[in-house]
Amino acid sequence: MHEMGVFWLRLATALYGVGLLHALAVLLRKKSGFLKPALFAFLVGAVLHLVAIVELAITIGHFPVDNFFECATVCAFLIAVLFLFVYWRYNFASLSVCIFPLVFVLTQIGASETPMLSWPSTGVRNTWLLLHVTMILLGYAALLLTAVASIFYLIQERQLKNKKKVNLLSRLPPLGTLDNLVTNSMSFGFVFITLGVIAGSTWASIETGSTWIRDPRIALAFVTWGFYLAMVFMRATAGWRGRKAALMAVAVLCCSAVTWAAHVGLSTVLAK
Amino acid sequence: MRFSITGVNHNSAPVEVRERLAFDEHALAEALQDLKRRPGFCEGLILSTCNRVEVALTSDDRAGATVAVDAFLAETRHVEREWVTPYLYHYEDGEAIRHLFRVAASLDSMVVGEPQILGQLKAAYALAKQHGALSGFLDALLTRAFNVAKRVRSETDIGESAVSVSYAAVELAREIFGTLADKKVMIVGAGKMSELAARHLRRNGATQIFVTNRTHERAVEMAQLFDGQIVEYTRFQEFLPEVDIVITSSGAPHYIIVRDEMKKVIDARRNRPVFLIDIAVPRNIEPSVNELDNVFLYDIDDLQKVVETNLAGRMQSAEEAEAIIREEVDRMLARLKAREVVPTIVSLQEQFEQVRQAELARMRGKLGALTPEQEQALEALTKSMMNKIAHGPISELRRQASQPDGHHFVAAIRKVFHLGGD
Repeated sequence: MHEMGVFWLRLATALYGVGLLHALAVLLRKKSGFLKPALFAFLVGAVLHLVAIVELAITIGHFPVDNFFECATVCAFLIAVLFLFVYWRYNFASLSVCIFPLVFVLTQIGASETPMLSWPSTGVRNTWLLLHVTMILLGYAALLLTAVASIFYLIQERQLKNKKKVNLLSRLPPLGTLDNLVTNSMSFGFVFITLGVIAGSTWASIETGSTWIRDPRIALAFVTWGFYLAMVFMRATAGWRGRKAALMAVAVLCCSAVTWAAHVGLSTVLAK
Repeated sequence: MRFSITGVNHNSAPVEVRERLAFDEHALAEALQDLKRRPGFCEGLILSTCNRVEVALTSDDRAGATVAVDAFLAETRHVEREWVTPYLYHYEDGEAIRHLFRVAASLDSMVVGEPQILGQLKAAYALAKQHGALSGFLDALLTRAFNVAKRVRSETDIGESAVSVSYAAVELAREIFGTLADKKVMIVGAGKMSELAARHLRRNGATQIFVTNRTHERAVEMAQLFDGQIVEYTRFQEFLPEVDIVITSSGAPHYIIVRDEMKKVIDARRNRPVFLIDIAVPRNIEPSVNELDNVFLYDIDDLQKVVETNLAGRMQSAEEAEAIIREEVDRMLARLKAREVVPTIVSLQEQFEQVRQAELARMRGKLGALTPEQEQALEALTKSMMNKIAHGPISELRRQASQPDGHHFVAAIRKVFHLGGD
């Protein structure tokens, strides 16, 4: 990829990062004061994104959709534009909770075709990897809690709906408490997994250049993250609770388990 | 004269039946007048609450009375007689007295020991009295029932713990929301029961209470009780998305909250759960609303079931109360039996008096004119003789009256003295 193009793209990624922070803040505190600055950064990011794509197109002489990285870049840009249009036309601000992280991660993938830098030392490399694994594991733990709490919520909800008490389960916490637990653990989980994914993809990009993205197991990780994103979005905007939320949480948990299992096989890649 | 109680309650009939049979205030007055015109009627009282519709009657004809009540209910409530009959229970005499005492003492209530039934019974009594449907027996019996209720309340712990429909509602609200702090409540229809529930919710942290009622004055009155906010009855549905708990107890004859509308409300709430408490009979909220996700609808019967599970602790008090009721019923029956021999005693005395007068008249014919002193002496002599002779049988009659097989003795006396009748 052309030097300048990559520079603009990285700058755009950084600006999208403001949006990511906004989305995470919304999830954790339910309210974030900086939607306006985040939107502005997002807009500027999209402009730079366009500049990067145009520059790339000029360099290679045609529309840059030759490989996955280029496709991801273009795709992220289109999503960003679409979101800005929807926001301008319908004032659908809560969509940002979903779109900001998505665009950020996609652009980041796009920008990582050529490694930014190389490891200054093996110590940094290993610490970075450790950081990635720790964050993902924290995310999984929170996700497990989310799924369990969702199932308890489902049981308690059924009891209240059917107006019957099963003796064994009559000591379940109130729905409201379970709901808070689900929301909080899910938000924390999402924050950790998102940071973990960013750390992981950066690490892989620096480590292996452009080949890492072709690994289906990596793709699986991104798909899992996408599911998680969808779940968080449905809950934050549509307030999904009960049956739907529980099914979703269990599905994401299963996905995560598969991803984890797949990554056990990655140790050969990690070994140097 | 026979005393009977015929009716339905929460055990004998589901809410669908009770709501068809319930009388509103206006209908109740008309029904009482109707009842008074029925053949065989002596005295009557109609008790109509959300959980029971009962007709207490004293009548001349035992068989006639039963028939009359189910026909009466069918005609006044415009239902098929065959439809209503299976739900009716019927008690007579001792059983009826026992039932009345149990109802008054809140032992037959859905929530055993809840205090409202006594007030409702008193209101029914006042109305019957106002319409001249009560005279001697039933009047005295009801007064006795009120005393029994008072006695049960003071001698047992039946009313001590807060187990009641309104409290059950609060308990459920806690199970749904965890904490009631910052929850908003709307009361649709300002009734006694909803007032109680709202009071409980308020005490447990609910911040804001909206009140709406068809008659504005009542809404104002109620809003003042817990500085609530008044909402126009015609516009209350606009406020539904804002509130977490809705209590309906309006007298509307049809559903005032329906499924389609609730679907919109829950969408507007972005699926935040809402707790609907429908304590109205007929019901105010379409039952299928409960099928919507995140909507929890409890009607009066559901609350009953919840309460039943909470009631274990009350059983002990209830047993004590039942003992009191048994004692009171026995006492009442003894008193009634004692009253039964009164006609026999009266006719015995009349018989003696007739004999005395006849003998006196005969004696006067033989003796001719007597001085006032002689007249007085004769009068005193015969009276004292008759009284002495009558004393034995009469006191024995009174004593035997309350005995189980006392009627044999009464019959024997009637026969011996040629009292006729029976």
